[in-house]
Amino acid sequence: MLGTRRCALLLLSFCLALLPMPALQAAERPVLRVLAWPGYADPDVVQGFEQRHKVRVEVTQIDSDTALWQRMSANGGRDFDVFAVNTAELQRYIDGGMALPVDPAAIANIRRQLPRFRQVEAIPGLLRGGQVYGIPYTYAEMGLIYDRSQFVVPPDSLRALWDPALHGRVLAYNGGTHNFSLAMLSLGSEQPFALASGDWRPAVERLIELRRNVLGFYTQPEESVEVFRRHRVALMLANYGRQQLRLLRAAGADVGYVIPREGALAWLDCWVVASGVRDRRLVEAWLDYMLEPAVSDLLVSRQGLGSTIAEAAENRPQDQLRWLVAVEDYARRERLWARVISGDRLHRVLAP
Amino acid sequence: MKLPTIRPGLGGRFTLLLALIGVLASGLTGYYAFSTSRSLLVTAAEQRLLTANQVLVRQLLVTLEGVVRDVRMLARHPLLAQALSATGAEARGGAEEGVDALFAGMLETRPEYFQVRLIAAAEHGMERVRIDRDDSGLVRVAGDEMQEKGHFPYVYETLRLPPGRVYISPPAINHEEGAHASLGKPTLQLAVPIRDGRRVLGLVVISVDIGRIFQQLSAELPSNVAFMLTNRHGDFLVHPDPAKAFAFDRGRRVLIQDEFPATAGLVAGEPGELVTVADMPGQGRVVAAFVKHRLPAEHDDRSFILGLSQPLAEVLASSDTVGAATARIVVAFSVLSIFLAILLARAVIRPLNQMLRSVERFSSGEARTPLPVQRRDEIGVLARSVDSLQKQVDGQMAALQEKQRELDHLASHDSLTGLPNRRLFLDRLAQALARSRRTGEPLALLFIDLDHFKEINDRLGHGAGDVVLRTVAERMVAEVREIDTVARLGGDEFIILLDATEDRAVIAKIAGALLTVLADPVAVAGEAVVIGGSIGISGYPRDGSTAIEIIAAADKAMYRAKHEGRNSFRFASGEA
Repeated sequence: MLGTRRCALLLLSFCLALLPMPALQAAERPVLRVLAWPGYADPDVVQGFEQRHKVRVEVTQIDSDTALWQRMSANGGRDFDVFAVNTAELQRYIDGGMALPVDPAAIANIRRQLPRFRQVEAIPGLLRGGQVYGIPYTYAEMGLIYDRSQFVVPPDSLRALWDPALHGRVLAYNGGTHNFSLAMLSLGSEQPFALASGDWRPAVERLIELRRNVLGFYTQPEESVEVFRRHRVALMLANYGRQQLRLLRAAGADVGYVIPREGALAWLDCWVVASGVRDRRLVEAWLDYMLEPAVSDLLVSRQGLGSTIAEAAENRPQDQLRWLVAVEDYARRERLWARVISGDRLHRVLAP
Repeated sequence: MKLPTIRPGLGGRFTLLLALIGVLASGLTGYYAFSTSRSLLVTAAEQRLLTANQVLVRQLLVTLEGVVRDVRMLARHPLLAQALSATGAEARGGAEEGVDALFAGMLETRPEYFQVRLIAAAEHGMERVRIDRDDSGLVRVAGDEMQEKGHFPYVYETLRLPPGRVYISPPAINHEEGAHASLGKPTLQLAVPIRDGRRVLGLVVISVDIGRIFQQLSAELPSNVAFMLTNRHGDFLVHPDPAKAFAFDRGRRVLIQDEFPATAGLVAGEPGELVTVADMPGQGRVVAAFVKHRLPAEHDDRSFILGLSQPLAEVLASSDTVGAATARIVVAFSVLSIFLAILLARAVIRPLNQMLRSVERFSSGEARTPLPVQRRDEIGVLARSVDSLQKQVDGQMAALQEKQRELDHLASHDSLTGLPNRRLFLDRLAQALARSRRTGEPLALLFIDLDHFKEINDRLGHGAGDVVLRTVAERMVAEVREIDTVARLGGDEFIILLDATEDRAVIAKIAGALLTVLADPVAVAGEAVVIGGSIGISGYPRDGSTAIEIIAAADKAMYRAKHEGRNSFRFASGEA
């Protein structure tokens, strides 16, 4: 009887001694609040960070620029420590005081990044007032996909889309904003995102030429794969980048991928320190962790996106990526494009 | 404190059990009838929807076949080929005017057509003749408004079609600028190439207002039936919630396989049909039927799924009436079964209770109550057994009591004379004394001893003595009042208790009368035997206060009478 009581007492004190410890630990653990896109911070990635730094990470996911803006602006950015946004969108967060500068020197793994991502001054929108506002994390570029069997020499220019030799065998994307930029690039412009008043006419002419040379325009990646295969398309502008390449290869097409020499339009997502940051060192540790090969490589293997620390197999170091920035007039581009795609001729497209 | 466990009697339990069985039986029957009627209603609704669905598919196909016939008829018309192949402006103009009239005629008779166009294979798919529909009527589109359509699938796919085929586009929202009524509307294009020998000159294309067709299809459906249509991927083209129709055009995917998971197999698989009961977002629980159909003779996989749904609550509305009726029947039958259970239990339990009462009264010695012996069933047999048992016990008890009475008599009476014996007498005397002490009433004792009895015994034998004793006893009993007690103390000694007698004269008179009857000769063995008696009289309270004192006083007085000359009586106390 006495023995049992003593045993129970021992057990109780043992439990009491053990129980509060994890609870206390959990309570004391710092929390990192991350706002990111699907695939940027998968649970296994997060777990690795939590174990290494003895912290807890709260990941909130968004799937559109609108949702991102709503989340961030809801409380002036104070609900998060760090978030991911593309360079074009970043501007309004800086304007709104929701994004804070970051010191690249505090992030050791930046040295792993490819030169084109380290040269922050070459990436429009990353710098403001001499300070860096984002650490490039992932990107996707709009290269050219071509049917290897129809090319002796792979195409290397956007001009191939206009090549009369490929008439009826070209597939382009049905999107006004990007297409105007492409038209400008194909015309040799270095300012594809800012059309001057004199640029509109040649750009529209160029787009009508494109329309007359293509087989058609696609909207969805799956649709592009279907048309590409059925009509033996030779060349396609890959608006969805390598995602389309993967789909086509999965469908059995013998296709190649190339970044045209004029450069490829590309969006670039960066990690940005939110104005709500509580522990800068922890955020810097997170950014450093994101640039580790084991983490960044997952973007390629799982998402078909580009990693900033390793060159994609299809890409060459000299390939130029034209990071998307806000264009001069979205509405006008879309309005004119709607006329172009509808089949109007030049003077009707340009009519007021 | 321990409470007694109260258990219902056999009758209660029997009633409860029977009632329970009755209620359970009617309840279960009702429930199964109700649920069966519900599942029958759902099945019937599914079949109804499926049939309606098949009819709608049929109608849709008929409509589509009509368009196919129209577009083929147009394509075969020589004017179209002429218009496309004419080289001279005049010839071309003339032919185009003819085509124009042809198209206008068709649009006038076919309100579901948005536009009919003749498109050239040359000049990047330039429109050559185009009649659009507008809010105000038909619009002949010409000149600058003509557009190049070569990059649209309905042009490049149609131009590549093998002979005999008709191009049918996937249903989509038309975003072509200048399309008049068709702009921004769900549109379906049907096109046929126009050939001149092996050379493809162009095509004729009819844009169909599918919204209108869907509306016509669903117009005849009851308002509670929702009409749905999807493309081959499962994207909704028609949905009760307009925001979910053609959602893919707005960058969203609203798929039938997400709203009705059961349709996933149908979307991925071969044409077929399916019925399901599912939770439809915004509509609640619905019964739905789906039919997947694939258009024939198409190089492309143009299939669609047509669906009809009806809220489950409405389908089951009529089952509520059935349910209410069933509930009433169940309640009625339950009440009836409870009533019957009570009756039945009473019928069985009442004779049992009757017997129980009878046995209870019998065992407590009360008057017997009747038993249900006249019944012809087991209870009757039991009752008759109990009855005969009771009678048997009764008989035995009566014999026993008789014996007891005899024994009691023997114990308190003299066997020879039948008079109370000494024991009984003393008992009665004690009672009389007790009464007298309470009431103050006096009493008297007469002690009688027969004279010469011993001589008779010796001379004539004990038999003669017995006869004398019996005769004397009878005579004495006859002389006294009924309330007075004549007892034989033993031998030839008798004693008489005179209750409530005080008057000496009366007592003397009785004593005298007794002496007279004692002196009468008694006939014994043919001889008249004369005996006599001596009587001693004592009284309470005069001669003593206890029985012994009073008896002793009477005894003494008797001896005095005997010594002073027999056949006389003496009072224990003097004259005074």
